[in-house]
Amino acid sequence: MLGIWLGKLALWLLRLLGRGATSFPGRLALRVSPGLLGRLGGQLRRCVVVTGTNGKTTTASLLAAALNAEGPWLHNTEGANMAQGLTTALLAHTSWTGRLRVRQAVLEVDEATLPGVIDKLPVRVLVLTNVFRDQLDRYGELDTTMQKILDAVRRSKATLVVNGDDPLARHIALEGGRPVSYYGLNPAQAAQPHRDQTRDGAFCLRCGARLAYDGFFYGGLGLYDCPSCDFCRPHPDFLGSYEDGLLRVVHGNRPPQVFRLPVRGLYNAYNALAAIAAARVVGLDSDTIRAGLARFRPPLGRMQPYATSPETVLNLVKNPTGCDSVLQAITSEHGAKVVCIAINDLAADGRDVSWLWDADFETLVEAGDVRLCVTSGLRAEDMAVRMKYAGMAPDAIVCIPDLEGALRFSLAAARDAGDLPVYALTTYTALYPAAAILRRLEAEARPAGATGGRAVQERGTA
Amino acid sequence: MARPLRILHLYPDLLNLYADRGNILVLRRRCEWRGIPVEVQPVPRGERPDLAHAHLVLLGGGSDREQMLVAETLRGMREDLRAAVEAGLPLLAVCGGYQLLGHFYELADGRRVEGLGLLDLETTAGRTRLIGNIAIESPAFGTIVGFENHAGRTRHRHEPLGRVLAGHGNNGEDGWEGVRYRNVIGTYIHGPLLPKNPALADHLIRTALEYAGEPADLAPLPDDLEQAAQQAVLERRLPAARTR
Ligand SMILES: [Zn+2]
Repeated sequence: MLGIWLGKLALWLLRLLGRGATSFPGRLALRVSPGLLGRLGGQLRRCVVVTGTNGKTTTASLLAAALNAEGPWLHNTEGANMAQGLTTALLAHTSWTGRLRVRQAVLEVDEATLPGVIDKLPVRVLVLTNVFRDQLDRYGELDTTMQKILDAVRRSKATLVVNGDDPLARHIALEGGRPVSYYGLNPAQAAQPHRDQTRDGAFCLRCGARLAYDGFFYGGLGLYDCPSCDFCRPHPDFLGSYEDGLLRVVHGNRPPQVFRLPVRGLYNAYNALAAIAAARVVGLDSDTIRAGLARFRPPLGRMQPYATSPETVLNLVKNPTGCDSVLQAITSEHGAKVVCIAINDLAADGRDVSWLWDADFETLVEAGDVRLCVTSGLRAEDMAVRMKYAGMAPDAIVCIPDLEGALRFSLAAARDAGDLPVYALTTYTALYPAAAILRRLEAEARPAGATGGRAVQERGTA
Repeated sequence: MARPLRILHLYPDLLNLYADRGNILVLRRRCEWRGIPVEVQPVPRGERPDLAHAHLVLLGGGSDREQMLVAETLRGMREDLRAAVEAGLPLLAVCGGYQLLGHFYELADGRRVEGLGLLDLETTAGRTRLIGNIAIESPAFGTIVGFENHAGRTRHRHEPLGRVLAGHGNNGEDGWEGVRYRNVIGTYIHGPLLPKNPALADHLIRTALEYAGEPADLAPLPDDLEQAAQQAVLERRLPAARTR
């Protein structure tokens, strides 16, 4: 009980200070009561878990929005996806006597954390978005991540909802021994790759032969087939086709359902497809899901616009595949632009910045309409070198390690060049500071003396 | 020069853990900026490289499983490799590729994988991974900075690449990092290795040109950004390296 009290006290204090719930209350509570996650988790009636390398935050948030249309589900906040963060999420809905008030949870769980928490939560549905390379210095190597997810799957009692377009996720589903529903994109939307992108799933994990691809969606996701054994892409139980913000989903022989997506870009269509498939597996009908998605507000840093002068669009980048999907989203918005890239190398960002060289920053140069690239953050200089070798003209690269200085410089240059949009890309620990600076710059962009001056000030200090 | 400088990139489809693509890109650009024709040939998995027409070979690192597949292929041409190395073929081996040059390397579970035996070097498994930023001082190339992430502890009886200023190096104990033997350079430093260490990149290009029998006078390039990146790592991440 002491753990619950301490954790709740910490939560209450953080709220008083105007801070969001982080991992801290959970960490404090777990230190005093190591069995707390199991005690609280055991009170859940049902639990849906989303894991995978990329897209788990957006997928879990979309899924939470859909599920909440049916009744209250508790949900952990972005990034708080290890044991401490999960405990914080449960504590927020626990009474001072230790009773959980909301009995259903949709939780985003870090891949390496999964084996440690799978026995503590009644996981009914487990969504696996994909398995890509991510933060090597934290997990050692990719194979370790695979093994961890597989161990957890085998010990679970869950129905799996798996991205069938990802050979590594498919492998886990085949070896996991649990019932599976696959989702995947329409083969008509697959593209031939224009460059030798990094492909973690390029080899058959059964026999070691190189997988043949008829087409790619993004990263190693695509229409794969092993030439020397029977490993192949499954026909998706939930087949998605994405066009102009609409996702058409065919589930078995049922009539197709169309969903308007509240998020931009093909990689987000994948996340939405995963969320819709999982919500269907949980038992929701399409109308309820549609109503839930309509109330969704996109999380921080996913092509998020700010009304600065001129406009800024903020994006989180964290690994090569995730970064490539952001770069793709940016270059698909045509017209001259300024790009500002802030790279930090703190623990939450990944201390090894090698990944910058696996990401396809060349596309920014090839697009031909990036007028200026401002690099920032603790690794501003590394990023500047990266852009130089990507082929950017040296006089179009400006290195300003200070984040606010870099954003102000980008906006001033964009204004002088005729109000070009600024696309800001930041790693995790630079994201919240960048958002705070951009909110301030939004306030500054409003004409002085305009009505609502007080509102301006409030936003400015938020 | 009439013939392009030919760089063989060994098994990029298997050994792509530490952004070796960056090393290739740096070599390619620094040749292009000087008007040196260059051709990078990726050698796909299972295939034996054509050493007779190579002027520089790059061998990167991968996961244990992928590393073993590479070892299997290359062991079949050990004698050719040895002859080429003795004849002065420039070879850059990073992380797993570095371990592969020796007699054996040990996996986490204690199994020993036979190496290529090109160098008098062996790698045992440590209980912890040696992870973090690293700076070394090399007599030939000055300060070299980057990132290391390896469980292997390597020991050898050749000239090291440099002395560790901050970080772990070959084994975290003797204060040395990497190896130099003829025109072979082996190292745990990635990040990738070459972008922030242009002197080392140019050394590889120079020895490759010499090996190709071409004039090897390299015009200097403006390296302000590269130097700034090296300085930034030293100042923000490895202040200890500057006082050594
Ligand atoms: Zn196979």
